[in-house]
Amino acid sequence: MKNKIFRSITLFLATAMVVSLAACGSSVSSDTSTATTAAKTDAVATESSKEPLALSFIHMFPVEDTEGNSIAFHKALEKFKGENPNITINEEPLSHDNYETKIRTLAAGNELPDIFIVKGSMTNMFIENKLINPVDDVLNNDKEWNDSFLQGAFNDFIVDGKNYGIPFQMLNTHLIYYNKQILNDAGISTFPDTWAGFLDAINKLKAKGITPISLGNKGNWVAESCILSTLGDRFTGVDWFNSIKDKKGAKFTDPEFVNALAALQNLAKVGAFNSDLNSIDNMQQKTAYYNGKAAMFMEGNWAISNVVNDAPKDIQDNTELALLPAVDGGKGDAMANSAGAAWAYNVNSQLSGEKLAAAFKVLKGVTDADYATISVESNAFPASNPKSLDKTKLAPLASKYLDLAAKIKAVPIYDAQLPAGLIQVMNTGLQDLLISSITPEDLAKKIQAEYEK
Amino acid sequence: MASKTLRPKGRVIAAYLAPGLLVYCFIVIVPLIISLIYSLYDYSGGANMKFIGLKNYSYLIKDMDFWNSFKNNLVIIFLSMIGQVGVALVITAAMISKSLKFKAMHRNIIFLPVVVSAIVVGFLWTIIYNKDFGFLNYLLKSVGLGSLIVPWLDNPKYVMISVSIPIIWQYIGFYLVIFLAAVQGISKDIYESADIDGAIGIKRSIYITIPLLSDTLKIAVMLCIAGNMKIFDHIFVMTGGGPGTSSMVMSQYAYINSFVMFKLGYGSAISIGILVLSLALILTSRKLWGGNKDEE
Repeated sequence: MKNKIFRSITLFLATAMVVSLAACGSSVSSDTSTATTAAKTDAVATESSKEPLALSFIHMFPVEDTEGNSIAFHKALEKFKGENPNITINEEPLSHDNYETKIRTLAAGNELPDIFIVKGSMTNMFIENKLINPVDDVLNNDKEWNDSFLQGAFNDFIVDGKNYGIPFQMLNTHLIYYNKQILNDAGISTFPDTWAGFLDAINKLKAKGITPISLGNKGNWVAESCILSTLGDRFTGVDWFNSIKDKKGAKFTDPEFVNALAALQNLAKVGAFNSDLNSIDNMQQKTAYYNGKAAMFMEGNWAISNVVNDAPKDIQDNTELALLPAVDGGKGDAMANSAGAAWAYNVNSQLSGEKLAAAFKVLKGVTDADYATISVESNAFPASNPKSLDKTKLAPLASKYLDLAAKIKAVPIYDAQLPAGLIQVMNTGLQDLLISSITPEDLAKKIQAEYEK
Repeated sequence: MASKTLRPKGRVIAAYLAPGLLVYCFIVIVPLIISLIYSLYDYSGGANMKFIGLKNYSYLIKDMDFWNSFKNNLVIIFLSMIGQVGVALVITAAMISKSLKFKAMHRNIIFLPVVVSAIVVGFLWTIIYNKDFGFLNYLLKSVGLGSLIVPWLDNPKYVMISVSIPIIWQYIGFYLVIFLAAVQGISKDIYESADIDGAIGIKRSIYITIPLLSDTLKIAVMLCIAGNMKIFDHIFVMTGGGPGTSSMVMSQYAYINSFVMFKLGYGSAISIGILVLSLALILTSRKLWGGNKDEE
């Protein structure tokens, strides 16, 4: 009767209203899950390699980023897409910090895309949970690709003798970018090569009202990756680090490491850094430098392209590169620098067949010798040797870097080779250390406690 | 006041409630149970799960970082009680005065921040607090109060206060709308007799409006506690728990343990901890409040 129809329509509308409210929140996550289910069904069917394929690729190279790696990545990917029109790549570009957040979340939820980038400290977790497979077979089948990689490019991703990542960059995470004009005006004619000279230079800069070092540690990896990985080595030497990594008896409470922490805290105490160092990130730390308000900033070689593209001309012309000087009684080499691939590509362990082959084809396009050429011309520093190198295409700063890089001795980056939980405790603790909320000894104990779990 | 004949049968009520309850079960109850199960394991997010019983909880009780986060949540709740509920009460009292024009416009403007995403509010205030380019420091300098400038988000002593301000700012409108709705239920006769007896202005608010709102106040307090025990978005965007762990709140701590350190078992234990502590707080507040009412 009329009443019944009326009532059933009302009930239906009520249900539809309630269910639609719940459904709209989940549309984003269903995208990635349909991508992985599509991957499985596609892999089962036998197709010729010219059949259209779709791959999902989440990466950390936003299109408008002026970082060398981003520019090179997009150029290489466009070239690949042009040569392979049958492969559709569904990209999701994110900024570096957002990418780290997202990939960890997807990994924990077992919803990784087809192709992604892994950070050194996450490798163990990904391997434990069978999210990635070793890439040795793929590389051994393509000798040309395998040989194009630099010595030691794979180090950060070798676990139990197997290689778990294809690197695209050789980073030096520590470089001091300094404005030689500002230093000259403060009475410093050459960059100091002793620790005492370095502290003295900082005092002179402070006296002139300039921020000596602009630091943006909001993401909390900057202090550890760009400063401590090298400063620590100055005090401890690389044997200590290898002992920590292989659990052969070295401790974070060893006096050398504690002294390194103390030296870092001392820099903060004498006012070498800006007062808002924990609330701006590594992109904003360069702003003070570009404005001529800071004399130096410390970041890796990835920032060279940022300086080339973003800094005003006079700042760029006056920018020189240096390393932290040696410390008295330190066990590390004065030219040691934290270096490595740090991040590497890998594919979802559930891919197989045509999709797997296509995914590695994409990766070859963004890591091989041709990519290396594009990369170097974009002022980035690839993990492979470029086919041809036209030095005139390089910005002056990039040439200065290559000269310095030739003299550097590589030592491991902490967050590329130590586990994620340990790095988190270290990074958070460094934020406290830099504002003198914790003593070096206490921080060392905290890190050691996490290490021993 | 529906008469008995108009009241629908029990079956019909259940049928209308069922879709909502079902969705609630799936979205709230089932994940809660799964969380409880995960918290008994050592789980890093993939296929590996190792049963360890109550070890996560025994560690949780001794974890100073967790209790520090709880303390930060309490600071936010305390500030929000005064800032959100308190200020909303004051504005409500002002809104019912006859001399206020454009009541609807005031209400809509004050409510506007509530509908803005918390992440946007967080970013907005991060920019406002920025040392060199932020609006706050610019404002202070232009009125000559430059000496009051401090690193708003960098000093652990008052980072919790800096971080609470956007939270308070965003949700005043929410409580205002609740109180305004409750005030409509107060019969006009009471106000008229109050006018005759000479209770006007502030006296009227303190002795009449607020006591009559006491039931609504209880609910507002409960919402305030529950909402602020879960607070996450603002702090994640503004400081990420920093500097160090000085602005860490419990949900942020659970997130870091789960997704940054890949300890989902422990992260789930923290979530259950948040649930237990929130229930404890709410029950305590009801006892304290309810106790007072019964004495009258």
